[in-house]
Amino acid sequence: MNALLIVVLAVPAAGAAAAALLPDRVGRIAGTVAAAVALLASLPLYRDSWFSYGPAGVRPWHEVDYSWVPALNLHFHLGVDGVSYPLVVLTALLTLLCCGFTLWRAPEPGRGNTLVALLLVIEVGILGTFLALDLVLFFVFFEVVLLPMYAVIAVWGDRDRAHAARKFVLYTLFGSVLLLVGVFTVVASAGTADIVALTGGGELSRTTQLVAFTLLAIGFAVKSPLWPLHTWLPDAHTQAPTVGSVILAGVLLKMGTYGLIRVAVGVAPEGARWAAPVLGVLAVAAIIIGSLVCLAQTELKRLIAYSSVGHMGFVLLGIATLTATGIQAALIGNVAHGVITGLLFFLAGAIKERAHTGDLAQLGGLRETAPRLAGVLGFAAIASLGLPGLAGFWGEAFAVVAAIDRGGPLWTTLGVVAAVGGALTAAYFLRLLRRVTHGPAIGSLAPPTLAPVEVAAWAPLVVLALAVGLVPGLVLGMADGPVQALLEALP
Amino acid sequence: MEDLSLPKIDYAAVAPMLILFGVACVGVLFEGVLPKAARRVTQLVLALLGLVAALSVIVWQSDTRVLTAGGAVAIDGPTLFLQGAIIVLGIMALLLIGDRAMEHGGAFVAQAAITVGSEADRKQAVKEQGATEVYPLTVFAIAGMLLFVAANDLLTMFVALEVFSLPLYLLCALARRRRLLSQEAALKYFLLGAYASAFFLFGVALVYGFAGGVEFGTIHDSVTESTQSTVLLYAGLAMIAIGLLFKAAAAPFHVWTPDVYQGAPTPITGLMAACTKVAAFGGLLRVLYVGFDGVAWDYTPILGVVAVLTMLIGAVLAVTQTDIKRLLAYSSIANAGYLLVGVLALSKDGLSSTMFYLVAYGFTVIAAFGVVTLVRDADGEATHLSRWAGLGRRSPLYAGIFTFILLAFAGIPLTSGFIAKFAVFGAALDSGEAWLVVFGVVTSMLLAFPYLRVVVMMWLSEPGESTPTVSIPGGLTAAALVIGVVATLVLGVAPAPLLDLTTSAADFVR
Amino acid sequence: MAGYLGSYATLGLLLLASVVVFVGAFSANRLLRPASPAEPIGKRETYECGVDPVGGDWAQAQIRYYVYAYLYVLFAVEAVFLFPWAVIFDRPGFGATTVVEMAIFVAVLALGILYAWRKRILTWT
Repeated sequence: MNALLIVVLAVPAAGAAAAALLPDRVGRIAGTVAAAVALLASLPLYRDSWFSYGPAGVRPWHEVDYSWVPALNLHFHLGVDGVSYPLVVLTALLTLLCCGFTLWRAPEPGRGNTLVALLLVIEVGILGTFLALDLVLFFVFFEVVLLPMYAVIAVWGDRDRAHAARKFVLYTLFGSVLLLVGVFTVVASAGTADIVALTGGGELSRTTQLVAFTLLAIGFAVKSPLWPLHTWLPDAHTQAPTVGSVILAGVLLKMGTYGLIRVAVGVAPEGARWAAPVLGVLAVAAIIIGSLVCLAQTELKRLIAYSSVGHMGFVLLGIATLTATGIQAALIGNVAHGVITGLLFFLAGAIKERAHTGDLAQLGGLRETAPRLAGVLGFAAIASLGLPGLAGFWGEAFAVVAAIDRGGPLWTTLGVVAAVGGALTAAYFLRLLRRVTHGPAIGSLAPPTLAPVEVAAWAPLVVLALAVGLVPGLVLGMADGPVQALLEALP
Repeated sequence: MEDLSLPKIDYAAVAPMLILFGVACVGVLFEGVLPKAARRVTQLVLALLGLVAALSVIVWQSDTRVLTAGGAVAIDGPTLFLQGAIIVLGIMALLLIGDRAMEHGGAFVAQAAITVGSEADRKQAVKEQGATEVYPLTVFAIAGMLLFVAANDLLTMFVALEVFSLPLYLLCALARRRRLLSQEAALKYFLLGAYASAFFLFGVALVYGFAGGVEFGTIHDSVTESTQSTVLLYAGLAMIAIGLLFKAAAAPFHVWTPDVYQGAPTPITGLMAACTKVAAFGGLLRVLYVGFDGVAWDYTPILGVVAVLTMLIGAVLAVTQTDIKRLLAYSSIANAGYLLVGVLALSKDGLSSTMFYLVAYGFTVIAAFGVVTLVRDADGEATHLSRWAGLGRRSPLYAGIFTFILLAFAGIPLTSGFIAKFAVFGAALDSGEAWLVVFGVVTSMLLAFPYLRVVVMMWLSEPGESTPTVSIPGGLTAAALVIGVVATLVLGVAPAPLLDLTTSAADFVR
Repeated sequence: MAGYLGSYATLGLLLLASVVVFVGAFSANRLLRPASPAEPIGKRETYECGVDPVGGDWAQAQIRYYVYAYLYVLFAVEAVFLFPWAVIFDRPGFGATTVVEMAIFVAVLALGILYAWRKRILTWT
C-alpha cells in the first residue's frame, strides 16, 4: 500500500515524459492511460481512520519516508490521510477527465500531446503537494505546478493570454517567495521540516509562529485566492483553455486552502489564532465582493471565475473559525467546489465553442436550441449556488454555522454577512440561468447535441456533485478523525 | 643564513599542478615544433589528457591532508574538492573551446594582431584556422587556479592569481568575430584586473606589517595574539578582499563583468564564469576561514553589505539587459552574491554548501554558454535577445535545454539551482544571518523575471525573419551540453552524494 | 654613522647633495636670465635638425621594440633568481635537487625563446 504513494506520483510523471516524446495522437493516448492508472492507484489508498491513532496531529493512513538529502535534513516523506485523500482522488479524476477531453479535441494552437504532458506534470505537482509530509518537499511540489500552468495559459489561452499568464506568474511567484521565507523560518527555528512533528507548533515560540503564519498565510492566500489578492484569478481562468480552467479552478486553488489547513494552521496554531479574525473578515469580504462582482459580469467564463472567489471565501471562513465544524466545512467545500466549478468550466467551454462567444448578451434560449446542454448547465449552477441536496450546500452552510457557533459579536456578524453572501450567490447564478438558458433564442449553437466524449467527461462530475450532496459523509466521515487530531494537537 | 634549508615538497600532493604546468609547457613546445595541420588535434588531446591525469591524481590523493612546500601549499579537503571541481569544469570548457563544428576554424582568431576591419581580418574571420595557442593558455589558467585554491600563504596566492589571470586576459582578446569588442573586453579586464592585483598586493604588504608573516597560520595566530595596531590588519584585509571580490565579480567590483563576458569568445566566457568563480571563492574561503577567522565579527557586516549589494545589482540590472551574454553576466554577479551568503555563514555548513553551490552553478553556466555558441547566423553568434524570439519553434530541443538551464538559474525545485540555494541559505540561517537570506530570497524572485522573459520569448513569440538557426553542435559541444544538463538535473534530484562529499571535505588544515 | 641604518646615511647625504645641486642650478638660472624672453616665429615648433617638422609629435613606436624589450626583461629577471641560487647550490643538503630545479626554471624560459624563434619574432622584417 505504501508503495502506491510513489506510484501515484511516478505514473503521471512517466506519462508526461511519454506524452511529450511520442507523436501527437499516441502521446495523448499514453498520457490519458497514465492519468487513468494514477486514478486507479489513488483509490485503494483509502483506509478507515480508526486504524491510525497516536498523539501526533497528523496520523497518516499510509506513509513512506526516505532520506532524500541527509546533509540538508530533507526527507522524501509522503503520506495520505482523510484531509488529503479526497483531494488526491479529485485531482486524479479531473486530470483524467481533462486528458480524455484533449483526446477528443485538442485546443489550438500547439500540439495536443504537449498539453497532455503539461497537464500530467501539473498533476504530479498537485498530488505531491497534497501528499507531502515534509515542509520542503511540500514547497518543491508547490513550485512544480507554476511553470506548466503558465505555459498552458500562455500557449493555449484566449486572445489576452500573454497578459493573463504574466499576471498569474507574478502573483504566484510573489506568493512562493513568502511561502519559501515562511518555510525557512519554520525549518530554521524548529530544526526539522517534518510536518508530522511540526503540527501543533509546540517547538516554536509565539513570535516565530506569528511571523511564520503571516508569511505562510499570505503565500497560500495568493493561491487560494483570498480577497484582495485574487485579481490574477479572473484573468487566468477566463483566458485559459477549457482544460486549463478546469484544473485551475478544480484543484489548483485547493493547494492554497489545503496548505492553509495543513501547514499554516498546523505548524503555527498560535499565529492562526491571532490572525483568525483578520482572515475571517477578509473571507467574508471575498464572499460579498465576489458575489457583487458576479452580478455585474457580462462574460460567462469570467462570471464563473469570480464565483470561485466567493466560494473560496466560504472555505477560508471555515478555516478561520478554527473549529472542527469549520474545518470540516472547508474540506467538503473544497471538494464540492472542485467538482462543480470543474463541471461549470467544461460547460462554459462547450458553450463558447458552439456559440463562438461568451458574452451573456449574445447567448440566450439555450433551453430551446440545446436542451441537454442547458439542463446540465442548470444542474451545475444550482449545485454551485448551494441548493440543499447538492454538493455545494454543505460547505457553505456549515461555514456559516461554524462562524455563528464560534459566538461573539464579530463571528456572529461574519456568519450573518456570509449567509447574505450565499443569497447573493443564488441571485447571480439565477441571473446567469435566466440570461443563458431562458429567454428568446439568440444565435444558433452548432452542434446542439452533446458529443459522447462530453457526456463521458461530465457524467462523473454530475454524479459526484449529487453523491457528495446526498451523502456528505463520503467526505466528512473520513475527514472527521484527522480534523479532530489536528484540533487536539493545537494548544 | 645558516638555517637556510631546502623545503620538503610532497610531490604526490602537488602532482596535479605539476602535471598541468608541465602539460602547458609541452603545449607551448608543440606550438613551436609541430606542423600547423597537426597542432589542433594534438593540443586538444594533450590538454584533455593532462586534465584527466590531474583529476585522477586528485581522486587517488583524496585522503591527503598536508601542508607542503614549506607551508606555501595546503592540500586538504576543500583544496582537493575545489581542484577537482575546477578540473571537471575546465574539461567541459575545453570541450567548448575545442569545437570547430559550428564555425570554420573555431571560435578563435587566427592572428590576434590583425587590424580590425582590414582585408586580412575579413579573410581570417571566414577562412583561417583559429590559433591553437588557446589550449596551452587554458591549461596554464586552470593550473593557476589549482594553485590559487591550494595557496596557504598570501604571496603564493598572489602568484597564482597572476598565473591564472594573465592567460585569461589574453584569451579574452581572441574572439574570431566582433574583434573590437573582444579586444576592448580584454583591455578592460587587464587594466581593472591589474588594478585589483595591486590592491591585493598592497593588502598583503600591510598584513605582513601587522602579522610579520604571510602564511595563514601566522596571520591567524597574530590576529588573536598580536598587540600591533589593528589599522594595518583591517586595511590589509580590506584590500585583499577587494582583490578577491574583483575576481569573484561581487559588487561594487563587478563593473568589468558584463563587458568582458560579452566581448570574450563564448567558450572562454564559460571558463571564466565557472572556473574563475570556483577559484576566486576558493581563495576567499581560505583567506576568511583560515587566516582571518579571528576578526570574523568585524568583517561579516561589511561583506554582508557587499553580498546584498551584489545580489541586488545583479538581479536588478539583469532585468534591463537585451543581450543574452550580458544577461548571463549579471546573473553571474547575482550568483556571486548568493555564494557570499554561503561564505558568510562562517561554519562547516557554510563551507560545504558554498562548495556545492560552486559546482552546481559551474555545470549549469557552462551548459548555458554552450547553448549560446549554437545560436548563430552568418555573422557569428546572435546574442541579442530579440534574435532569440521564437527559437522554441525553430529548435525545440535546444530551446528546451536552455529553458531547463534558466529554470535552474532561477532556483526552481528539482534542479541543482534550488538545492544549492537552499543549502547556502540554510547554512546562513543556522549562523543567524537571516537578513542575508531575506535579501537572497527576494532577489531570487526578482532574478526569475529576466529568465522567464527569455523563456517566454523563445516559446511564445513567432519566429521572425531574423531568428537565427541553431547549428547542430559538434560532438565536443554536445558532450559538454549533455554533461552540464545531466549534472544540473542529477544534482537537483539526488544531490546527496555530492553534498556528503562536500561535507566530508569541509575541513581546512592550518 | 654606525648602527643598522648607518650605511644608508651616506646614500641619504648623496641624495641630499644632488637635490641641492639641482635646485641650486635651476635657481641660479632663473636669477641670471633676462626677464623678457623673445618670441620669434617658430620658437615653440618641434625642432628637427633645422628641417621643417613633418607630422605631429605623437608618433607610433614600432611594436617590435616592445617584443625585444620584453624578451630582455625576461632574462634580466631570470638573473635575479640565478644569483642567490649560485650562492647556495653547492652547500650540503641542496645539491642535485637544486640544480635540477634551476634547470627546469631555465628550460621554461628557454622554451619561451624557442617559441619566439619558431614564430619568427626574432627576425626584423
